[in-house]
Amino acid sequence: MVTQVQPIPYGVGRFSAALVLVILLLLAVIAGGVYALYTQLTEGLVVTGLRDIGTMGGSAWGLYIAFDVYFVGVSFAGITTAALVRILNLHHLRAVSRMAELLTIISLILAAFSVLPDLGQPLRGIIYLFKYARPQSPFFGTFTMVIAGYLFASLVYFFLDGRRDAALCARRAGRLQWFYRLWASGYRGTAEERERHDRASFWLSLAILPVLVIAHSTLGFVFGLQVGRPGWFSALQAPAFVILAGVSGVGLLIVIAAIVRRVLGAHDRLTPEVFRWLGNMLMVLVAAYLYFMVVDWLTATYAAPSHEARISRAIYFGRYAGVYWTSVAALVAAFVLQFRQFMRQRYELSRIVLAGVLANVAAVGKRMLIVVPSQTHGALLPYPPGTYSPTWVEYGIILGLFGLGTLMYVAFSKIFPIIELPEEGVEG
Amino acid sequence: MARYAMVIDLDRCTGCRACMEACKVENNTPQAHFWMYVFRFEEGEYPNTRVWFMPRPCMHCDNAPCIKVCPVGARYKRPDGLVATDFDRCIGCRYCEVACPYGVNYFNWKKPERNHYIDWTDREAGAVLDPVTNGAVPPYKNPDLEKPYGPERRRIAGGGHLKGVIEKCTFCVHRVERGQQPACVANCPLYALHFGDLDDPGSRVSQLLRRRPHFRLLEEAGTQPRVYYLGGKPPGEESRQIEAVRARV
Repeated sequence: MVTQVQPIPYGVGRFSAALVLVILLLLAVIAGGVYALYTQLTEGLVVTGLRDIGTMGGSAWGLYIAFDVYFVGVSFAGITTAALVRILNLHHLRAVSRMAELLTIISLILAAFSVLPDLGQPLRGIIYLFKYARPQSPFFGTFTMVIAGYLFASLVYFFLDGRRDAALCARRAGRLQWFYRLWASGYRGTAEERERHDRASFWLSLAILPVLVIAHSTLGFVFGLQVGRPGWFSALQAPAFVILAGVSGVGLLIVIAAIVRRVLGAHDRLTPEVFRWLGNMLMVLVAAYLYFMVVDWLTATYAAPSHEARISRAIYFGRYAGVYWTSVAALVAAFVLQFRQFMRQRYELSRIVLAGVLANVAAVGKRMLIVVPSQTHGALLPYPPGTYSPTWVEYGIILGLFGLGTLMYVAFSKIFPIIELPEEGVEG
Repeated sequence: MARYAMVIDLDRCTGCRACMEACKVENNTPQAHFWMYVFRFEEGEYPNTRVWFMPRPCMHCDNAPCIKVCPVGARYKRPDGLVATDFDRCIGCRYCEVACPYGVNYFNWKKPERNHYIDWTDREAGAVLDPVTNGAVPPYKNPDLEKPYGPERRRIAGGGHLKGVIEKCTFCVHRVERGQQPACVANCPLYALHFGDLDDPGSRVSQLLRRRPHFRLLEEAGTQPRVYYLGGKPPGEESRQIEAVRARV
């Protein structure tokens, strides 16, 4: 029983000085977010850059909704990776599957959190969204499919996937032993048990895949079903949301995996093979999204009705051109970076990570362009065009959410191995 | 049950914006909120120009996009056709606002008492105002705006109630339930606005709609508005708005 005295690998329970510094920094960022939220709760949403559509010439939704969409999008990575590992037997991706699942769970929590500051009456929101829920509202799908269904399914998968490692961790005496025991919930690693486990997680991941598509589509429907907002009312909205979700999710997963590899020195588990796979996945998704953008461009410039054309002009050449062309450049650069590596079959970690970062820059930019221009430039009555620029309160709250998510990620990685424990020593 | 509708005669409207003013006083709406708004349009090139005016209340649509999207049922259709907002239910997500093609929703971005034209809480203001108002109830204290209405007994009248909720034109539900006309209709000096029951063939609105050609705004959006326009035409690309109100909170 040598395993009993061996410490749990991958930095669990160990805190270096640098890590403490990072945690303090994250706490400071969160405190900033809390202060911004406090300001907003006392003063009202007037401290944001949001204003009424119409005579006030503003945008009623802004950064909060854009990042809500972003966070839900990021959650794409976890389940996709996990499902690919299980269904297509891509065993070399095993090492990132827990990282990806955790990313899904945390980003879904952040998505729920980023809606709350957008509400004028957040406390009412928490109660009434359940008490008076209306299935006819596209928001309903966001809460049931995404938060309830998707998050719950992800948590179940996460739990099943972690039982073996929890059982291994539970062999070691320590303050968290009860937690590992609870998670392992009687897992012994017998052949029969593993076979059953395998079957359960296979069917679960198979069931989650359609849920994934529906969940991201539902979010697209929040916008795509609004006939009153030119630029939103489009059947392309739902599929484009699914693809862009993949772009940002896989991109962020690459970045996180690279950081984990560096910090934990897990070069033996997070092999170049893992990054090659993730990079190629990102390349395919970026290519698909670029295709959507070209289709969008052609439709909008060739034969758009006048109201649609006004929005496209604002996006392509007007007020939003900076954000638009930055996003396009980032996506194209990410694709070219990956494609060159793919053609030469020589992969470099730094380039794959850069592509992941660029993909996320583009994803954030595109989300802003989906949410804002249709409100400021999409009036069907002849209101003058509006403006929207976020204030420090909005930036503060969003940064605080990122801080919170990162802290949750770090905290989890300190109580549970973030990478699946290696095969050897399982049958102890 | 009545089937209420508004008829706006564009041939009569002179763009005086008395309806906007009446609405503000009646409903106690905060600054920069225009439940009734009058567009002033200019068309053509000098010297062949034409100026015309178009009042824009809430359209109280029969197929209202705002009602469809409300996640908690705060926005609802009354049996008499009024589209109401329950400010005790609203969570302030502003989905109705982004869904509405007409831009009629206004959100209380700050505490309404900090966003009124006069600081009613200021004692000195009171000393100045009391002789003017002869001790009459100021709009912000109008008890009618706090009462519940309709068989469902929900509080839907007036504006400036609390921060973080959506408000919009109510067709002056508190006046209509008493048998009065909405404030904008009652105060139009040129009888350009009419309000009444479409199910009553003898009502003014029914008569006008029978007699004269009319249109509704953005009918192509399928919203089936309850506000009908007589005379003129819907605004198009050629209609430039002049003297736009650009008040921001």
